[in-house]
Amino acid sequence: MLNFNSPIKSEKNYDDLKIIEIEPTIKINLRGNKRQFSTKIGKILSILPPNEANTSSGNEKFNLLWLSPDEWLIYSNDKNISLEDQLNLEESLFNEISKLNQGAVTNVSDHWIMINLKGNKIYDLLSKSCPYNFNDFKKKNGSVAQTIVNHIDTILHNKGDNNINIFVRRSFSEDFWRWLNDSAKYV
Amino acid sequence: MFLINCPYCGERDQSEFSCGGEAHIERPKQPTELSDDQWAEYLFMRKNIKGIQFERWNHIHGCRKWFNIVRDTSNDKIHAVYKMGERPPVK
Repeated sequence: MLNFNSPIKSEKNYDDLKIIEIEPTIKINLRGNKRQFSTKIGKILSILPPNEANTSSGNEKFNLLWLSPDEWLIYSNDKNISLEDQLNLEESLFNEISKLNQGAVTNVSDHWIMINLKGNKIYDLLSKSCPYNFNDFKKKNGSVAQTIVNHIDTILHNKGDNNINIFVRRSFSEDFWRWLNDSAKYV
Repeated sequence: MFLINCPYCGERDQSEFSCGGEAHIERPKQPTELSDDQWAEYLFMRKNIKGIQFERWNHIHGCRKWFNIVRDTSNDKIHAVYKMGERPPVK
């Protein structure tokens, strides 16, 4: 990962709402549709990629999000995972999948920013500018949604108990962060 | 505004999608044998009818997959949604 300087510096606390950027975390995009592809991922990460739409699987170290029928996103739960471990993980996935032509492995750690939202008002906040229906999403732990919030592409991951992680592209992150904080004042 | 039932992600708002125009237009087998007018007809001319139309849509802000829908353009009622490569469920 690059030694980036994030535009988001602070943690924000509002009434029943906490917004914080969780960085740096490793994020790897996986694409493939062969049966061996799933087996290889299961072997390396000890998690099988979910086949059901809008779901995720995970263990204490990593989460694996469904993005489309042949695409998944891995991200680590551990913010302090060492650079060496990150490179080892990427390398082992690359050697087992990409090199053997069974799929594609792309490190997107610097492409996506992860923002964590906690509190009872997170869905009120997001609903201010999001067309997505959160009724089923908030009931199910681990559910995933790709949608637009304030016209910005986002990936939402429900961690349960009014705790969600939002992935937003780095180039949109500052704008998104400002919108979140502006809107949070009025929920 | 209307809702579209993405065959991969489920029901979502239309603003997450992008319309790719008329569906089931076959590419000519021998493009070099066509006249300019015939090629232009294939490339540019679309029906754009008022009524039931077969269209390609892309879930651009979601799973980014293409699929087909059968939509009544006069009232935006969707009669069928089906994946690429599948036969239209209605005629």
